[in-house]
Amino acid sequence: MALPQAKQTATEERLASLTMPDPGCTKAARQGALARVREMGLPSRRDEYWKYTRPDTLVSADAPKAAIFESGEPMVFNDVDRLQIVFVDGVFDAEASDDLSLEGVKIDRLEDICCKDIHWAKDLYGKLEERGQTPVQRPLAALNTAFATDGVAIHVTGKPSKPINLVYRHESEDSDAILHHVIRVESDAEATILEAGPAASRFNKCMEIDIADNGTLHHVRAQGRDHERRAVTHMFTRLGQESTYKSFTLTANGVLTRNEQVVELTGDDAVAHVAGACVGDGDFHHDDTVFVTHDAVNCESRQVFKKVLRNGATGVFQGKILVKEGAQKTDGYQISQSLLLDDDSQFLAKPELEIYADDVACSHGSTSGAIDETALFYLRSRGVPTKDATNMLTLAFLAEAVDEIEDETLAEEIVTRLEGWLSRHS
Amino acid sequence: MLEIKNLHVQLEEEDKQILKGVDLKVEAGKVHAIMGPNGSGKSTLSYVLSGRDGYEVTEGSATLDGEDLLEMEPEERAAAGVFLAFQYPVEIPGVGNMTFLRTAVNAQRKARGEEELSAADFLKLVREKAKSLKIDADMLKRPVNVGFSGGEKKRNEILQMAMLEPKMCILDETDSGLDVDAMKLVSEGVNALRDEGRGFLVITHYQRLLDHIKPDVVHIMADGRIVKSGGPELALEVENNGYSDILAEVN
Amino acid sequence: MAALDQTQVKEGVDQETVDAVREVSTYKYGWETEIEMEYAPKGVNPDIVRLISEKNEEPEWMTEWRLSAFERWTKMEEPKWAMVNYPEIDFQDQYYYARPKSMEEKPKSLDEVDPKLLATYEKLGIPLKEQMILAGVEGAEDMPAEGRKVAVDAVFDSVSVGTTFQAELKKAGVIFCSISEAIKEHPELVKKYLGTVVPVSDNFYATLNSAVFSDGSFVYIPPGVRCPMELSTYFRINAENTGQFERTLIIADKGSYVSYLEGCTAPQRDTAQLHAAVVEIIVEEDAEVKYSTVQNWFPGDENGKGGIYNFVTKRADCRGDRSKVMWTQVETGSAVTWKYPSCILRGEESQGEFYSIAIANNYQQADTGTKMVHLGKNTKSRIVSKGISAGKAQNTYRGLVSMHPKAKDSRNYTQCDSLLIGDKCGAHTVPYIEVKNNSSRVEHEATTSKVDDDQLFYCRQRGMDEEEAVALVVNGFCKDVLQALPMEFAMEAQQLVAISLEGSVG
Repeated sequence: MALPQAKQTATEERLASLTMPDPGCTKAARQGALARVREMGLPSRRDEYWKYTRPDTLVSADAPKAAIFESGEPMVFNDVDRLQIVFVDGVFDAEASDDLSLEGVKIDRLEDICCKDIHWAKDLYGKLEERGQTPVQRPLAALNTAFATDGVAIHVTGKPSKPINLVYRHESEDSDAILHHVIRVESDAEATILEAGPAASRFNKCMEIDIADNGTLHHVRAQGRDHERRAVTHMFTRLGQESTYKSFTLTANGVLTRNEQVVELTGDDAVAHVAGACVGDGDFHHDDTVFVTHDAVNCESRQVFKKVLRNGATGVFQGKILVKEGAQKTDGYQISQSLLLDDDSQFLAKPELEIYADDVACSHGSTSGAIDETALFYLRSRGVPTKDATNMLTLAFLAEAVDEIEDETLAEEIVTRLEGWLSRHS
Repeated sequence: MLEIKNLHVQLEEEDKQILKGVDLKVEAGKVHAIMGPNGSGKSTLSYVLSGRDGYEVTEGSATLDGEDLLEMEPEERAAAGVFLAFQYPVEIPGVGNMTFLRTAVNAQRKARGEEELSAADFLKLVREKAKSLKIDADMLKRPVNVGFSGGEKKRNEILQMAMLEPKMCILDETDSGLDVDAMKLVSEGVNALRDEGRGFLVITHYQRLLDHIKPDVVHIMADGRIVKSGGPELALEVENNGYSDILAEVN
Repeated sequence: MAALDQTQVKEGVDQETVDAVREVSTYKYGWETEIEMEYAPKGVNPDIVRLISEKNEEPEWMTEWRLSAFERWTKMEEPKWAMVNYPEIDFQDQYYYARPKSMEEKPKSLDEVDPKLLATYEKLGIPLKEQMILAGVEGAEDMPAEGRKVAVDAVFDSVSVGTTFQAELKKAGVIFCSISEAIKEHPELVKKYLGTVVPVSDNFYATLNSAVFSDGSFVYIPPGVRCPMELSTYFRINAENTGQFERTLIIADKGSYVSYLEGCTAPQRDTAQLHAAVVEIIVEEDAEVKYSTVQNWFPGDENGKGGIYNFVTKRADCRGDRSKVMWTQVETGSAVTWKYPSCILRGEESQGEFYSIAIANNYQQADTGTKMVHLGKNTKSRIVSKGISAGKAQNTYRGLVSMHPKAKDSRNYTQCDSLLIGDKCGAHTVPYIEVKNNSSRVEHEATTSKVDDDQLFYCRQRGMDEEEAVALVVNGFCKDVLQALPMEFAMEAQQLVAISLEGSVG
C-alpha cells in the first residue's frame, strides 16, 4: 500500500540527511533495511504504535540541540570491575576504552566487521531487527540498521570474568548518533553487558542479541541524565532452548526516551525478564514499549515496569505478551505501575495479551495512583520527615523492578543512583 | 465388590512405574485400609480407580461388581458407584456448593435412569446430612471449597459422599490436615455410612484414623505392591514399630 | 446471590424459560418466520433515507438530520482496528427497510393477527398478553396481566411492532414506545436528546445508523420516578439480506430509576447479516439506569457460515451529579461482534459499571469491552469482563479507562479474565489506560488461563459428564457478571453459557 504523502515526504527528508557508511559485508543487510524504511515510512503521530509518544523529533532530519549536563557525579558502574568500551557522541574512542581482549569473549568494532567478507556477525546484523518488524513495524530500527556508523560485535563463547560496559559520553550539543551492536551468546556461555550514559543529543541505538541454547545474558542499562537528550532504542533478543535473558533499564530524565524491547522465546524452557524503573521530573517523556513472543513450550517471561513521575512528566507503557499457537505451558507475567507525585503528571498504558494456546497462565496488572497516604502518615508518626518518608516509599515502589537485577553490586549501583535522583528532585 | 488384579500403572509423561502388580479385593460391607510409606503408590491407586488423566495402565484389571472400571470415563465410574474423597479437595470459584452438589446428584441419578430430585427434596436432604457434619448454611452457600479450612474441606467431601451414596468409597488420606475434633466428626460421618452394601478403601499414612474408622482388613503397601495384609492389629504394629520392620520382614 | 435462593427461584419464577432453553441442543432461535414482508429497494442512498423517514411519517427536521448523517457517512471509512476478520460488506447489497405487511392495518382480535407473527413471539418466549399487544390487537392493553410484569417493545426486522403495558406506564408518567412514535408524539424530547450522546459523526456504523435507523425504543422516566416495572426490548432480524439498524434512546430524568432488558435473536441463515444499532442513555442528577443485554444473534454454523455481523454503539452519558449507569451484557451470539458499551462520567460522584460475559465458540469473533471516561470529580467505575474462547474462535477485550485532569479523586477497578477451551482458539486483551491526575487511582488486572483440569476431574468424579462439568466451571468463572443481571435474565444466561459451549470439549 502506498504511504500517505506526508509520511513519505518526512521519510525521504530524513533519508536525505543520512549517508550510508562503507557497508562491507553488512551491505545486503543495510540495503534491505533501507528498503524496509521506504516501505514502512518513518513513524508519525497518527500511527497506533505511537499513540502516546510523538515521534517528530526522533524522525526529523536535524536533531534538536541538547545541552551537556554536568552532574558532578561519577559515572554509574564506576566502582565495578568491568571492561569499558567508550563512545563519545556515538564514535568509538580507543584511548578512553580498555583493551578489548578478555577471556571468553571476542569483541570487534562494527567498522572491522564491515571491512571483512566473512564474519559471524554478518549472519546476525539486521536479522533480528527484520524479524522484529512483524507484526508491528519499527521503522526507526530499520533506519538504524541501514545507517549505523559505529557499534560493536560481542561474541560470548565462555564466561568472561567481568562485565562489558558500553559507556556513552555526550560532549557535543548537536550530536546525532546511530549505533548498532550485535551480541551472540554461545551455548553454555554467560556474560553481563552494562550500558551507561546519555550518548548524544539524539541517540538511535539498536542491539541484536542472539542467545543460543543454555546461554545466559544479563543486561543492565542506565540511560543518561542529560535533561534535553532524546533517545530511541531497540533491543531485539532471540532465545534458544533453556537460555536466559535478564534485562533492566534505569531512566532518569531526558526530554524524550522511547525504549523498545522485542523478545522472542524460540526454544523450549527459556526464561526472559525485562524490567525498567524510570524517574521523571518536569519536561520528561518516557516510553517503554515491550513485545514478548512465546513461540516454544514451557517458557517464562516477566515484564516489570515502574515509573515515578512529577511536575508534568509523562510515562508510557505499551507491553504485549503474544503466545503463539502451540506455545503451551507458557508462564507470562507483566506488571506496569506508576506513582504520580503530583497532579500534572500522567501515565498512559496499553498492556496487552494476545493468546493462541490454551495451557497457559498469563496475567498482567497495571495501576496508577498517588503515594499511599496511610503509609506516609505511619512513617511520619514515627518521626520520619515527609520528604524522607516520600523518598522511602518511592524507593519501595521501585524495588520490584530493581530486584530483577540479579547481581547485588549492580543493583546497589542502581539504588544509589535512584537515591541521588530523589534527593535532588524532591 | 471391588476387585483389582495384578495392576501395573506408570505415569504417562515419564517412563516411571508406580504400581507394580497390585492385587486387592474389597467385599461389600467391609472396610479395608491401605497403609504405607510416602511414595508407595497409595494415592496413585485412588486416582487410577477414579480415572484421573496422566496414568497409564500397562497390565492388570480393576472391576466393580464385575464391570471393567478402567474402560469407563470418570463420570461413568462415579455413576457406577465409585466415590473418591480427595486428599486435596479442589476449589471451584464461583460455583456454589449447593449448585455443585445438586448437579452431581442429578447427573448420577440421570445416568442411572432415575428421576431427578426436586429442589425441595434436595434441599431437605442436604440440610439433614449437613447438620450431622456440622456444616452450616453459610458453608453450603459458599463456592465449592473456596476459602474452606482443611477440616471444612474434608467435611464437605464426606457430605458429598453422604449425598451421592456410592457403593465403593475411597478415602485418600482423609485424616491429613485434621485436628482431633475434626477427625472425630469426619469419622462419625464415615461410620454412619457403613452398611452391608457398601465397601470402603481407607488410604492413610497413620494408624490414628483407624482408631475411629475400624477396619476389617489392613494392607501394607510398599513400592507399588501390597506386601502384607492382616487384621486391625497390623495397623497397630505399624504405629508401634514403623514401616521399616515390616518392610525388612517382607524383603 | 445465595445458591439456596437460586434453587427456589428456579422452581418458581421462570421455570418455563429455563426448560425451554435447556431442551434445545443447538441455536434455539434459528427458525425463520415466513411472513409477508414489505421491502424498500436494496442499497442505501438519499432516496432510501427519505423513504425510511417518510414511512415513519417523520417531520422535516428528522429527515434532514438523517440526510446530513448520510452525507457524512459517505465520507467515512469502515474501521479496521478491531481483531476481527470478515469478508468485505457490500453496503449496497442490503435491504435497509423491511416490515411485516400485516402491520399495515390494526387487527381487531388475536384471530386476525398473522398467526406466523404470533408464533414468532411465542417462540421468543413472550407471554400471551404481551403477544397480543405486540401483534397490535385492539384493547389488549386493558386485559389483566398474569405473573410478573415486564413491559416489552418488540422490534421485528426494521420496525417496532408494538409495546406492552403502555397505559400502566403512562400512569407513572413513564414514556415507553417505539422511537418512530416518539418522534411524532414527543418531538421536543427527541430533539433535545437524540444524537447528544452518540453524535451523528461518532463512527462509521453509528453514522450509518443515524441515516437509516428504521425504528427502536424510546424511554423517558420523569423526575423522581422509579419505573414500576422492567422495560424490555426484543430485537429480531427475520428477513433475509436485511440490515437491522435500530436506535434506542433512554432518558432518566433527575432522581429516576429504570432497569432495561434487551434480548436479540435472528434466524439461522448461511449468509451473514448486518446489525448496526445505536443506544444512547442520558442519566440526569441522582438517576440510575441498568441496561442488561442477552445478545444471542445467530452466530453462524459450526463451520463459520452465516451469522450476524453485530456492530453496535452503546453509550451512556452520566450528566448529573451522583448519576449511575450499569451495563451488563451476555454476548453469546453473532459471527462478529464489535461492541463497546461506554460511560461518560461527567457528573460529580457519578458511577459507571460494566459487567460482561463474552463467549465465542466455533468460528465466532468477538471484540468487545467498554470505555470509562472520567470527567467529573469523585467518579467511580468498575469493569468486570469474562471472556471465554472455544473452538476456533477469537475473543478480544478492548477497553479504555481515561482519567481526565479534572476528574480528581476518581477510581477505576478493572478485572478482565479470559478462559480458553481448546488449543485452536484465541483470547486477547487490549486495554488502554490514561491517567492524567494523581489523586485518582486506577487498577487493572487481567488473567488468561485454561479450564482447570483438576476442577473438571473433581466434577466428573462426582458424576458430571465433561460438558456439564465445563458448563459448571465456566458459570462459576462468570459468576460475578451473572450476579449483576436481573434474576430471570441470569437464569437464562446460565443456560445460554452451557448451550453456547456445546461441542467445545471432547
